[in-house]
Amino acid sequence: MKRRDEYARLRRLLGRDALRDEVRDEFEYHLSARVEEYMGSGMTRAEALEEALKRMGDLERYRRETQAIDAQVAGAHRRREYFDGVRRESRQAIRSLVRNPVFALVAVITLALGLGSTGSIWALLDGVVLRPLPYPSPERLVWVSSYVSGGGSAGPWGLSSAGYFYYRANQRTLEDIAVYSPFPVNVSGDAEAERVDAVQVSGGLLPILGARPAVGRLFTEADDAPGAAGAVILSHAFWVRRYGSDRGIVGRTIELNTTPVEVVGVLAEGVQLPIGSADIWLTLHLNPAGPFQNAHYLNGIARLKAGETVETARRDLERLTSQFTQVYPEVYREAFMREYGFRVELHTLESEVLAGTAKTLWILLAAVGLVLVIAFVNVANLFFVRAEVRRRESSVRAALGAERRHLVWHWMVEALLITGMAAVAGILLAVGSIALIRRYSPGGIPRLDAVHPGGSLIAGVVVLAVIAGVVLGLLPQLKSGGGPAAVLREGGRGTSVSRKRQRVRQAMVATQIALAVTLLAAAGLLVRSFEHLRNVDPGFDPAGVLTMSLALPGVRYPDAASVAGYWEELTTRVESIPGVEKAGLVSSLPTEGGPCALVFVEDHPLPPGELAPCLTYYIASPGYFEAMGIAIDGRTPDWPDERSKTGAIVVSRGFADLYWKGETAQGRGIKPNNPGEPWYRIVGVTGQVRTTGLDAPAGVAVYYPITAIPGASLWGVRRGMSMVVKVQSGPVLALLPAIRRVVADLDSDVPLANITTMESILAGSIARRTFAMMLLAIAAAMALLLSAVGIYGVVSYVVGQRRGEIGIRMALGARAASVSRMVIVQSLRIALAGVAIGLILAVIVTRTLSSLLFEVSPSDPATLLTVSLVLIGITTIASWAPARRAAAVDPLEVMRTE
Amino acid sequence: MQIDLIQGTLDMLVLKALARGSMHGYGIARWLESTTDDVLRVEEGSLYPALHRLARRELVETEWGYSENNRRAKYYALTAEGRKHLRQERATWARFVEAVAKVMAV
Repeated sequence: MKRRDEYARLRRLLGRDALRDEVRDEFEYHLSARVEEYMGSGMTRAEALEEALKRMGDLERYRRETQAIDAQVAGAHRRREYFDGVRRESRQAIRSLVRNPVFALVAVITLALGLGSTGSIWALLDGVVLRPLPYPSPERLVWVSSYVSGGGSAGPWGLSSAGYFYYRANQRTLEDIAVYSPFPVNVSGDAEAERVDAVQVSGGLLPILGARPAVGRLFTEADDAPGAAGAVILSHAFWVRRYGSDRGIVGRTIELNTTPVEVVGVLAEGVQLPIGSADIWLTLHLNPAGPFQNAHYLNGIARLKAGETVETARRDLERLTSQFTQVYPEVYREAFMREYGFRVELHTLESEVLAGTAKTLWILLAAVGLVLVIAFVNVANLFFVRAEVRRRESSVRAALGAERRHLVWHWMVEALLITGMAAVAGILLAVGSIALIRRYSPGGIPRLDAVHPGGSLIAGVVVLAVIAGVVLGLLPQLKSGGGPAAVLREGGRGTSVSRKRQRVRQAMVATQIALAVTLLAAAGLLVRSFEHLRNVDPGFDPAGVLTMSLALPGVRYPDAASVAGYWEELTTRVESIPGVEKAGLVSSLPTEGGPCALVFVEDHPLPPGELAPCLTYYIASPGYFEAMGIAIDGRTPDWPDERSKTGAIVVSRGFADLYWKGETAQGRGIKPNNPGEPWYRIVGVTGQVRTTGLDAPAGVAVYYPITAIPGASLWGVRRGMSMVVKVQSGPVLALLPAIRRVVADLDSDVPLANITTMESILAGSIARRTFAMMLLAIAAAMALLLSAVGIYGVVSYVVGQRRGEIGIRMALGARAASVSRMVIVQSLRIALAGVAIGLILAVIVTRTLSSLLFEVSPSDPATLLTVSLVLIGITTIASWAPARRAAAVDPLEVMRTE
Repeated sequence: MQIDLIQGTLDMLVLKALARGSMHGYGIARWLESTTDDVLRVEEGSLYPALHRLARRELVETEWGYSENNRRAKYYALTAEGRKHLRQERATWARFVEAVAKVMAV
C-alpha cells in the first residue's frame, strides 16, 4: 500500500503533464539512473525507487527551490533584455525626431499652445477661485447685508448701525459679527501728504478675520467706544512703504485729514480686507445708544459658530430682523419694511468675493480646454501620417526580429519626448501669459495677486502632457493592424490604404471644426455684446475728460463757505490753464453709482403713513455738466448760485418723468431729508445718463449743489470730491503737470489722487466682460488657426493617397478644374458636418455665457451664421493648395510610378 | 557511520567534483559517494539548488547532453571564474582545518 502511494506521488511529481521543465528532467534523470543502479545490484524496481527517493531527501522542496532559482535567473535575463530593447528603441526614437525636426517642431509648438493656454487659465482659476480665502477657517466667514426688493430699487444694501448692534447683542449662531466702511483719507504730519485707502472697522472685525499684529496690538473694544480718542493700525505693505518697517512707529502719532491719531499696531503681512484694500485701519466709534438712522452703508462680516451653517444663521438673523419694527420703531416702520421688502441676506464671504468670477474663469478654462483638444487632434493626425509612412520601416524591423513591445516603446518614447518638450514650452508660455494678465490687470478679477505660476500650473500641465503622450504613443499601435507580413505584401503602393482609415481622419477634422465653431460662436457673442456696450450712449462724453479726486483738510477748511470758496477758486484757476475747456466737481463719477437720500416733492405730497423714496443723489459743482458733456434741458447752476445759495438744482430725465411726465420740471421744488426744510428749485434736466454702469439703465438721480441752502441740512461740508476736467484737444494727460501746479499753488497740503481718464473708468466698468471677451477671442483665433492647419494637413494627405485614382481619372479625360473641385467639395462636406455639429454644441454651450452677454441672445442667428461662413471659408482656403496639387497630377507619371 | 555535511561546504565539494571535468548531477552524487566511501551524508536533492545557484553566480556553466546510457542529462562544467573560486575555497578550507586541528590538539 505504502509503495503504491510512493508510486502515485512520483507520478504526480514527475508526471509529464504536471511538470514540463528542465528541473523536472534533471531530477527524473537522477532518479531513474539511481533506480537502474540499485536494480543492477538486485533490488526490485519498487525497492530501488524507495531507496533512490530516500537518498534524494525532500524531493518536492529541492525541486521548488531549484525552480525558484531558475525563475529568478530567467526574470533577470528578461528584464535586462527588455531594458536593452527600450534603450535601443529610445535612442532610435530620439534619432528619428532629430532627423525630422519639422515634424517635431510643428507638433511641439501646436501642443505647447494648447497646454500653455490651458495651464495659464488653470493657474488663474486655482489662485483666484480654488484657493481658500487667506483667513483661518474661511468657510465659516459669511457676508451679512440687507436686501431690498421694492421702493424703486432692488438689490443688496449694507447694514444699518441699529441692525448691527441688535444682531450682535441677540444672535445665537455666530461667534461674532462686525461691520466696516471703507473711505479714503489724507495722511500727513510726518512726511509728504498722501491720499490712501482707509477703512473704519468695528472692534470685532480683525479678530473675526483671524488677523494678527506684526507689531503692537489690534483694536480693543475701548478703542471703538463712542467718543474714544481713536487709534490707527497700519497695513504691513503701507508700513514698509511709508515708514521703512520702522517698529518705532507704534506709539507715535500721525495726522489723518490733519487730525492727530496714535498708531497702536501694524498688521501681519498679507492681512487685508476681503474686498478692496486698506492701508489705514481705524475704528468706527458707532454708538450702541443711537441715535439711529435708516442708513445702510456698513459692510457686515460674521464668523459662524462651529456646527452652524449659513442657513441656520440666516434663520437666526431673520428672526431678529422681524423684531426691528418693535425695537427701532423710529427707524424701521412697518410701512418701510413692507414697501421695500426689507430683509437680511447672508452668503459665504467667498461667494461675495468671487461673485461671477468663478463662472467666468470656468468658462475660459473650458474654452482653452477645447483649444487643447483641437491642438491634440492636429498632433494625433501628424502621428497617424507619420506612422503610416513608417509602417514599412517598422514592419521590416518587426520581420527582422524587433519585438513588438520594443516597437511600442519606440512610439511611446517619441510621443513622450514631444509632449515633454511641449509641456516645458507650455509652462513657459503660461508663466508669460500670467505675468501679462497680472501686469495689465484686467479689473473685475479679484485676488489676482494671489495667482502665482507654481506647483499647480506645473502639475496640471505635466499631467495633461503625460496623458497626451501616452495616448499619442498608443494611437499608431491601434492602426498598425495586419501584421508585418500583410504590410510588406502591400508593397509600396499607397492606393491600398483603407478607406476606413481616411474616414477616421475625416471624423477627426469634423470634430475640430465643430469645436472651433463652438468657440468662435462664444467669442463672437461676447464681441457683439462688447460692441453693443461700446455703442451704448452713456449720456455723457468721456472723450478728453480727465478725472482726479481731492480731499480738503478739515482744519484748514472748517466750514461750508471756506470749502466752497476753495472749489470755486480751484475750478476757476484750472479753467484758466490753456487747453482746458471746462472744469467741475462731483461727489461720484458716472458708472460708479451713488448713495441714496430721501426725496420730498413739492407738488406730490406723501399720503399719510407712506415713506419718501430713497433716490440716488450726487453733489455737483457748477461746470460739472459742461465738463462731463451731459446734455441739459434748461440751465445749470453757476457759481453765483452757489455763493448766494439759491438752491438751484438739476435732476435726471428719469426723475422728471417720474413726477412730471409730459410737463416741464423746471421751477418745481424738491428737498432731501426732512419735510420741514426749504425747497430746492429745479433749473435743468439731464439727458439719460448711465450713472451706475453701461449695462444698467439710466437711473433716477438728483444733483444737489455743494452749499446747502439756508435752513437745509445737506450732508455736512463736502470736502472730498472728484474733479472733472474737459480738455480742448490733444492728449488728455498732457495737461496734468499744469493742473498739479495749480493745485499745489492753491494749497500745497491738498493731495491729488486717482488721476485717470473718464475713458478708462468706462473701460473699467466693463472690465470683466472685456477680459473674458479678449481671452475667448484669443482662444477662438487659436482654434481657427489650428483647425485650418488640421484641414490642410488631412486634405493634402488624402490627395497624396489618391494620386493614383486622380491620375486614372485624368487619363480618362477628367479636366483639372473638375479634379480640384472634387477635392474642395469633399473637404466642404466634412466642414459642413463639423459646422452642423458645432452649431448644436454652440447653442447648448453659449447658454452658460448669458450673464456676460449684453443685448445679444445666446443663440444670436447673425453670429452663428457668420461663424459658419467663416469656418466654411477657412476650409475652402485650406483645401485650395492641395486641390491645386491634385489638379497638377500628371497621369503618365502616376501610371509609371504606380 | 555517516556524518552530516558541515554547513556551506557543499558548494566547495561540488566545485571540486567538477574540477575533473563536466558532469551531471547524478555523476556528482556518485563521485562524492565513492570518494568519501559513503561517509558524508548528502541529500542528493540538495545538489540541484546548489548547482543552479553556482550557475547563477556563473561559477559553472551548463549544457544538455547525453549520458553513458544515451539519456538526456544536464551537464555542469567549471568556468574560469569557478576554478578561481575553487582555489580560494580550497585555501580557506585548509586554513580552517589547520586551525580546528590546533584547537583540538590542545
